[in-house]
Amino acid sequence: MNFRDAAIRLVILVAILAAWQYAADRVIGTFWISSPSLIAERLWLLHRNGDLYWHAEMTVWQAFVGLVFGLVVGVALGLLLGAMPRVASIVDPFIMALYSLPRVALAPLFILWFGIGLLSKVVMVFSLVFIVFVLNTMNGLREIDRDLISLMRTMRAPWPYVIRKVQLPSVVPWVFAALRISIGLAMIGSVLGELLGANRGLGWYIEDAGGKLDTTGVFAGLVALMIVAVLANEIVKLLERWALGAGRRQGVE
Amino acid sequence: MAPKLSIEQVSMEYGSKRLGRTKVLDTIDLTLADGEFLAIVGPSGSGKSTLLKLISGLERPTAGRILLDGESVTAPPPGVGFMFQRDALLPWATVAENIDVGHELAGIPREERPDRVAALIRLLGLGGFERHYPAALSGGMRQRVSLGRLLAYGPQLYLMDEPFGALDAQTKLLMGQELLRIWTTHRKSVVFVTHDIDEAVALSDRVVIMSSRPGRIKTEVAIDLPRPRDARRIRRTAEFRDIADLLWRELMGEDEEVSA
Ligand SMILES: Nc1ncnc2c1ncn2[C@@H]1O[C@H](COP(=O)(O)OP(=O)(O)OP(=O)(O)O)[C@@H](O)[C@H]1O
Ligand SMILES: [Mg+2]
Repeated sequence: MNFRDAAIRLVILVAILAAWQYAADRVIGTFWISSPSLIAERLWLLHRNGDLYWHAEMTVWQAFVGLVFGLVVGVALGLLLGAMPRVASIVDPFIMALYSLPRVALAPLFILWFGIGLLSKVVMVFSLVFIVFVLNTMNGLREIDRDLISLMRTMRAPWPYVIRKVQLPSVVPWVFAALRISIGLAMIGSVLGELLGANRGLGWYIEDAGGKLDTTGVFAGLVALMIVAVLANEIVKLLERWALGAGRRQGVE
Repeated sequence: MAPKLSIEQVSMEYGSKRLGRTKVLDTIDLTLADGEFLAIVGPSGSGKSTLLKLISGLERPTAGRILLDGESVTAPPPGVGFMFQRDALLPWATVAENIDVGHELAGIPREERPDRVAALIRLLGLGGFERHYPAALSGGMRQRVSLGRLLAYGPQLYLMDEPFGALDAQTKLLMGQELLRIWTTHRKSVVFVTHDIDEAVALSDRVVIMSSRPGRIKTEVAIDLPRPRDARRIRRTAEFRDIADLLWRELMGEDEEVSA
């Protein structure tokens, strides 16, 4: 990112905030759209009394646990189905049906089954992300150069060796792609669960503020969510760069 | 002595009943003595690569059988190393790691491997590229890494599918020289596919010429040039030129058939 682009972005941001502030003060009123200054003030307060972290911690933790389970189960299932093409082609319609189901509609069921605690949110997140991992893992396996497998067969390589040397390395970039997609989904799952039933978390804070007609509280919660999502994306990017050894595949060291 | 390899009445068809089948190899009979260096030449599409795949056990013939050390080949047998026409290197592994795959799968003890890799790197003129990834190498260098992996695996039977096809004339000669040296000391059996007649004559004990559609063995020519040979100097002898001319005529006959 060069300096010029950054400057342009900053100008756009300031313009939006200024327009918002103006509209809130003079045109629409802060009751409806709060205002940047009020939101900043609220965030400062939440930071000072620690509530911000108390809620964010819950939301992030739920998303994280669901994401980890989704990754582990999804990749394992993808590898398994990749190794059994016949089973994979039989269950393919079921996977697709699950994939196209709007899983957010399941949230009320999860609350009913698993209560308003951690578990219902983790299940919600898991249900949103794990199929992405299954599909991407299977895709990665399909993309493997068949010659590599044949060559391993001529040298009678044991199956675990082929998995370690050929299959896992070719699946890793696909898993990271799935991870990037899943971060957003995991936050959605976590917050959605909180909106429907919880007593803690950024989603709950937003829901609670909305109930009290506290628009500033709603917006403060949204801004906090945005910051968390951006941070999570940056962490995945770093992880990816580390795991792929910065351009290994391009052949430069 | 029983032959190392015998190919008996082998035919191969590709395709399915529905889409139609093409006969790629038609009743091939061929034997290879232990320690023999056999070269196969023939036009593109004559089934040379297919024949190697059958010998390696990667594919099964639709008719006939293949015996390795007297045993029928039904799956990749031990002691057979195959260097593919395409180099098939692991893109996420360095030059050294790719070569080491051969050691690992041959069961060479871990503590011996670094020295052996270093020796192969030197032998193949890949010094300084140990830690490069295949994408950063030229086609010829990749082929040499692939040869390194084969040598690291150290099979009893070498199947080499146009191993030096991507090399410049000079490196090709050097690599041929090295291969001859290694073969002379270890006397393993080699099946060497090439399009280069001079190379086939300089290296091998016997050259098989194949014709295409369907692939058949057209002629076999024994190469009675003295050993040990100097891959470069031998090309200037009259005997060498006579044999090479003979092979050229056989191959060109093939071309006339095609255009007729
Ligand atoms: N897996 C396959 N499925 C269907 N047809 C195949 C397959 N592999 C090879 N063939 C066909 O078999 C024929 C012989 O192929 P092969 O690769 O053995 O030829 P080749 O002699 O090695 O040629 P080249 O010198 O170009 O490498 C070709 O017509 C090819 O289309
Ligand atoms: Mg070929």
